[in-house]
Amino acid sequence: MSAQISLEQIKIMTGLELCNLFGINVLRFSKDARAKKRAVMLSVLWAFLIIMMLFYMGGLSYGLVRLGAEDEVISCLIAVSSILIFIFGILKAGSHMFRIQGFDMISALPVTKGVIVISRFLRMYTENILLTGLVLIPGIAVYAWSVRPGATFYLNAFLGIWSVPLLPMTGAILAGALVSGISARMRHKSLAASALTLLLAFAVMFGSSRLTAMEGMESMEIIAELSGMVSAVLEDCYPPAVWLGTAIVKGEFSRCLMYTGMFLAVFAAAAAIVSACFQSICRNLHTTAAKHDYQVGELKADSALTSLCRKEFRRYVSSSIYVSNTLIGPIMGCIISGALLFTGPERIKEILPVPVDLAGIAPFLLAGTFCMMTTAATSVSMEGKNWWLVKSLPLPTKTILDAKILMNLILVLPFYLLSEVFLILALRPGIQEGFWLAVIPVVILLFACIYGITINLHFPVMDWENEVSVVKQSASAILGGMGGAVLAVLGGAGACVVPGGCSGGYEAVLCVLILGVAWLLYRKNNRMDLRGI
Amino acid sequence: MLIINHLTKHYKGSSKGISDLSLHVRPGDIYAFIGHNGAGKTTTLKCIAGIHDYETGEIRIGGRNLRENPLACKQVTAYIPDNPDLYEYLTGIQYLNFIADIFKVSAEGRKERIKKYGDEFEITASLGDLISSYSHGMKQKLAIISAMLHEPKLLILDEPFVGLDPKAAVVLKGMMRKLCDSGGAIFFSTHVLEVAEKLCNKVAMVKDGRLIASGSMEEVVEQGRTLESIFMEVVNDVGTD
Repeated sequence: MSAQISLEQIKIMTGLELCNLFGINVLRFSKDARAKKRAVMLSVLWAFLIIMMLFYMGGLSYGLVRLGAEDEVISCLIAVSSILIFIFGILKAGSHMFRIQGFDMISALPVTKGVIVISRFLRMYTENILLTGLVLIPGIAVYAWSVRPGATFYLNAFLGIWSVPLLPMTGAILAGALVSGISARMRHKSLAASALTLLLAFAVMFGSSRLTAMEGMESMEIIAELSGMVSAVLEDCYPPAVWLGTAIVKGEFSRCLMYTGMFLAVFAAAAAIVSACFQSICRNLHTTAAKHDYQVGELKADSALTSLCRKEFRRYVSSSIYVSNTLIGPIMGCIISGALLFTGPERIKEILPVPVDLAGIAPFLLAGTFCMMTTAATSVSMEGKNWWLVKSLPLPTKTILDAKILMNLILVLPFYLLSEVFLILALRPGIQEGFWLAVIPVVILLFACIYGITINLHFPVMDWENEVSVVKQSASAILGGMGGAVLAVLGGAGACVVPGGCSGGYEAVLCVLILGVAWLLYRKNNRMDLRGI
Repeated sequence: MLIINHLTKHYKGSSKGISDLSLHVRPGDIYAFIGHNGAGKTTTLKCIAGIHDYETGEIRIGGRNLRENPLACKQVTAYIPDNPDLYEYLTGIQYLNFIADIFKVSAEGRKERIKKYGDEFEITASLGDLISSYSHGMKQKLAIISAMLHEPKLLILDEPFVGLDPKAAVVLKGMMRKLCDSGGAIFFSTHVLEVAEKLCNKVAMVKDGRLIASGSMEEVVEQGRTLESIFMEVVNDVGTD
């Protein structure tokens, strides 16, 4: 990296990157009362999610302690936070590191590209430190409560929190750089970037699923061998988690320091590599080829709804972050259905700890994956600075919103059909079971789309700088994107718990209720005056 | 064509906006709307285009109340903002086709107009390229073509000459005159007072959201004076009141 990189410049540029982290600066200085109200509600939502996460991680740690694997608690949580950082990191690294917003202005300033890269690294590092803290602190508290370790443990744990994000973040950024670099050379950059990102994310997910793979052992054997097994699986999947975790637990400060130094060195090397190719990737990624050879030929007239749907689809494929975040669910639905077909339902039933009517919960499972993150939930916000255009068109609110719902349904359709074929072949359902298998995912998905629009109309973010803030961090993405998935989980749980849950009556009542609520929301949405947004 | 009666619109938490603004744009009028930055010009234009709601007052386009018949009003209106943020992920021709579909322009009609206006603005060859590859001026030309596709009766323009090359500015002025000759009307904001003086038959001046002068160009600009001197005088007078 250039020797001209000055700490003062890094400080200034990082300050610029961080000043509006989570929209704090806008919240501080905005005079728009409605925007402030939305920001406060988003903060409440985040606080709720943070508390949930703290409890979940605390519970996981407590479970491990009760099973006698207390020495593996920290290693396990380091692995969990590393996987989270890596998966979230590769999903947004490209769009974060190589984002174009403000790039021209910053490039014209007397700062080196190394400073720009480091400041962007530090922004991601800050976000990841917070995530690591959320995952590790409950585990540290539970471990400290149960083992009563010495003071060195706390010192090591403190150092650990700062060093844990370094490696997975470096990996995610390099992967993101690779994806951006490869896709920058392709004609359909966004689609190529989406495909590569999804491929990487799935590779990591399936790799990390080995953490829970303990096939061929009875439950008592698992409990007896748990401590050693957790350690072995972690060692196999992500050795640095075990190295650092063991050093923290055993109070080996020098080792902790050494690992932190190692991680820091890898981080610095990655920053140097990204810095070297930063400008060329940025330029390639954001340069649009122009042919200047168009001649007006025959043009076809279509209905307003068809035209709007086509526009929605083009908007969708133009954003790799939008595609990779929303397509992951439907692809997972197909993979799970395919796995059920190729593994066989009997084998799955053997693995599951409690007896489950697979044909009864399969439609809810499928609906859950399809609704993990709907496109509809952020489709209004994704209009961004183009929103003026939609508002000025001679179209009723209904047509504009219908196009967004239709786009989501059409997108999921091929995944739905393929998953249904897999599930029907795997489960061989009767006529009634087959009917609900086909209907329930559609009903829940339809609800999820309408509900997503409702939430987005109430929590719109139109003046965004980066699509990440809409697709991953907005209230609509969190509240609206997962509404259908939560409903599917509740519905599936109900099918297991309600007596005679999978006999048809329960499903019928549930579908009528969901469709009723969806209809009410749909009518409410269509009466909305879009000028207020 | 356009009647604004006692229009009032304020932004929440801000003193900016417009107060009690009344105007009458008749068929054949090219009406200039001038004022300093933040005077309320864009707010007024966005209210007319149906982008912003307003608290009180009335806007009538072609005899219809905008609040009661927004779609019918928008169907005969075209609006071009000062900074045309168009769909960058579409090509020029995809965008024009989209607008033509929304305004229900026939296949033959859109083909003829796209060819005609595209050639006039020398942008036809670029229509197959993504809008993200366009310069500011090219986006402005594309926005103008899209506005003319459905042959609007009322054209609302916000700083239409910014970013246009001299030839394109001449073409736009020709289009504006032609539209007015055929019974249409144009209401546009500008900071280029020379253009307003030469091109428009009517003018309105706004300051801090209030209309301070309006009428025919002859009425407002007295003999031997320029619009610029009148504007400076009126704005400063009101400012010292």
